[in-house]
Amino acid sequence: MAKIVVLGAGIAGHVAASHLRRKLNKEHEVVVVSPNSNYQWIPSNIWVGIGRMKPQDILFPLAPLYAKKHIDYKQAKAVSFHPEGDQDQNRPYVMVEYVSEGNKGNKEKVTYDYLINATGPKLNFEATEGLSPGKNKAHSVCTYTHAQEAWNALEGLIEQMKQGKKIKILIGTGHAKSTCQGAAFEYILNVEQELRRHNVRDKAEITWISNEFNLGDFGMDGMLMSYGSNIMKSSEMVGMVFEDRNISWILGAGVNKVEDGVAHYENLDGEQKQESYDFAMLIPSFSGHGFKAYDRTGMDITDKLFRGFMIVDADYTPKPYEEWSVQDWPETYQNPSYPNIFAPGIAFAPPHSISKPRKSKNGTDITPAPPRTGMPSGITAKLVADNIIEMIKQSNKELHHKGSMGNMGAACIASAGFGMTTGSGISITTYPIVPDYQKYPDTHGRKLGKTFGSIGLAGHWLKLALHYAFIYKAKMKPFWWLIPE
Amino acid sequence: MTRRISKYKRFMMMNPIVQFFKFIYLSIKVLLVVAGGHGGTRSA
Ligand SMILES: Cc1cc2nc3c(=O)[nH]c(=O)nc-3n(C[C@H](O)[C@H](O)[C@H](O)COP(=O)(O)OP(=O)(O)OC[C@H]3O[C@@H](n4cnc5c(N)ncnc54)[C@H](O)[C@@H]3O)c2cc1C
Repeated sequence: MAKIVVLGAGIAGHVAASHLRRKLNKEHEVVVVSPNSNYQWIPSNIWVGIGRMKPQDILFPLAPLYAKKHIDYKQAKAVSFHPEGDQDQNRPYVMVEYVSEGNKGNKEKVTYDYLINATGPKLNFEATEGLSPGKNKAHSVCTYTHAQEAWNALEGLIEQMKQGKKIKILIGTGHAKSTCQGAAFEYILNVEQELRRHNVRDKAEITWISNEFNLGDFGMDGMLMSYGSNIMKSSEMVGMVFEDRNISWILGAGVNKVEDGVAHYENLDGEQKQESYDFAMLIPSFSGHGFKAYDRTGMDITDKLFRGFMIVDADYTPKPYEEWSVQDWPETYQNPSYPNIFAPGIAFAPPHSISKPRKSKNGTDITPAPPRTGMPSGITAKLVADNIIEMIKQSNKELHHKGSMGNMGAACIASAGFGMTTGSGISITTYPIVPDYQKYPDTHGRKLGKTFGSIGLAGHWLKLALHYAFIYKAKMKPFWWLIPE
Repeated sequence: MTRRISKYKRFMMMNPIVQFFKFIYLSIKVLLVVAGGHGGTRSA
C-alpha cells in the first residue's frame, strides 16, 4: 500500500490527484493538502474581472467531491519539507498547517511514500512597492476574489464615464520579471470590448504596459505562426489587434513602484518613467512559496529541494541565451535528490527564461519569466501521476512517461471579448512551447501549422466550451478522463 | 484608431455561420495539437 500526498489543488494538483485516484485501487491512499477550499478554473477569472461571470460560475468546493471520490482532503498549507523524516518520525513527511475554522493554526506531520508538489506560484505582490490588489487603484485578476474586486472598481468607473468622465486604463505586467502576459492580454481586450458595450469607449485611453521586448512575446520569445494563408509574427498579430482596438503600448517596462494612480517603471534605456491611470490591472511577479526543507538531523537542506521553485530534472547550469536548448527543460519533474518527490505545473523551477534575457542600461533584468499555462500544467501533472503509478505497481525506478516543454504543444485560446454573437477570441497553438531552434531553424524554433493563430467569434465559443468542459472534468463527472488535459 | 482589419475580414470574423465552421475546424486543430502527444528531448 502506498500513500501519495499532493500539495495544491490547482490545475496540476487536481489533475494528478484525480488520475491517481482513478487508476490506483483503494488500498492506496491519495491525500490532497490545499489551503483554498474551492477549486477555481483560473482562466475564466478574466470574465469575472469584467462582470460577465460570477466567482460561483468558476469554482466549486473540493471537500464534497474528494469525500465522494475517496481522496483524503486537508484544508491546510504545507510549511516545511522533511524528505528523510526526523528523529521521531522515520518516514518522510511534510509539515502542514491547517487553515480551516476549527483547527486553524494546528500543525500535522503528513507522511508520504510519494510527494507531488503542485503548489503553483506565490503571487509576489511585495516584489513591487505599492502593488497590492485593490490598493492604489491597481488590481489583479489572478484569483476570483481579486477579479471580483477589479470588476467592482471598473464598474464604478464605467458609471462615471457615462456621466462624461474621461479616464486612463493601464493593463499589463507589474514587475520587470512578471509572466502571464497572456492573461493580461486577454483582460485588456475584454475591458476594451466591455467599454464599447457600455458605449463609453471614447471616454477611455487604454494602454498596455509590459516587460516584453516585442508585442506578442508572451514570455515565449514570440512566435512565427500560420495565420490564414500567411505566415505572421505574433508581434504583428498583436500589433494589428491593438491598433484596431486603439490600444497604445509601452514595452520593455519593468514596473518597480505603484502609487495611487501612478505606475513607475524603468525601461531598457535605463530611463525612470511613470504612467498615470484611473484603473490598472498589473500581473505581479510569481515566486516560489519560500518553503524550507530539513534532513533527518534537522539540518537545513532547502538548497537540495528549492531554487525559488522546486528543483527537478532540468539542466540548471548557467549559460548564455545562444547556448540554451530544449534539453535544458525537465522531462519527468522528479527531484534529483529525492526521487519520490515531483513538481509539475508552475511549481517546478525552470532552467531559465524562454524569452531572450535583456537588461536595462542600469543592469536591471527586464525579461518575462517563462509561462507554464494550463495545458502543460495538466500534462505534466498527469505524466507525474502515471510515473508514480508505474513505480508503485511495477516497482519501477526508470520513468517512462516524459513530457518536456520542448516537445509539447500548447493551445491558448485568448478571450478578446465576451458575448455569444459579439464575442471574440484569439486562438493560438504553439508547438513546441519552448522553441527548438535546432529542429526548426527557419521558423523561429516552432513547427508552422502546429503553431497558428486565428481571430474571431469561434475563438470565444471555443474558450467558453473549454470553460464548461474543464469544469466538468474537474468535477470528475462521468467519463471525465476522456477530456484531454 | 487605425483600421487594421478590413470590413470584409471583420464580417468573416463575426459571421456566426462562417464562424460555426471555423469553430469545428479550430476544435479539431486544437485537439490535434493536444493529441499530438509529448515526450522527452534528451534521448537520441
Ligand atoms: C488570470 C489568469 C488567466 C489565465 N488564463 C489561462 C488560459 O486561458 N489558458 C491557460 O492555459 N492558462 C491560463 N492561465 C495559467 C493557468 O491558470 C496556470 O497555468 C495554472 O493555474 C497553473 O496550475 P498549477 O496547478 O501549477 O498552479 P495553481 O493553479 O496556481 O495551483 C496551485 C495550488 O496550490 C495551492 N497552494 C498554494 N500554496 C500552498 C501550500 N503552501 N500548500 C499547499 N497548497 C498550496 C493553491 O491553493 C492552489 O490550489 C491563466 C492564469 C491567470 C492568472
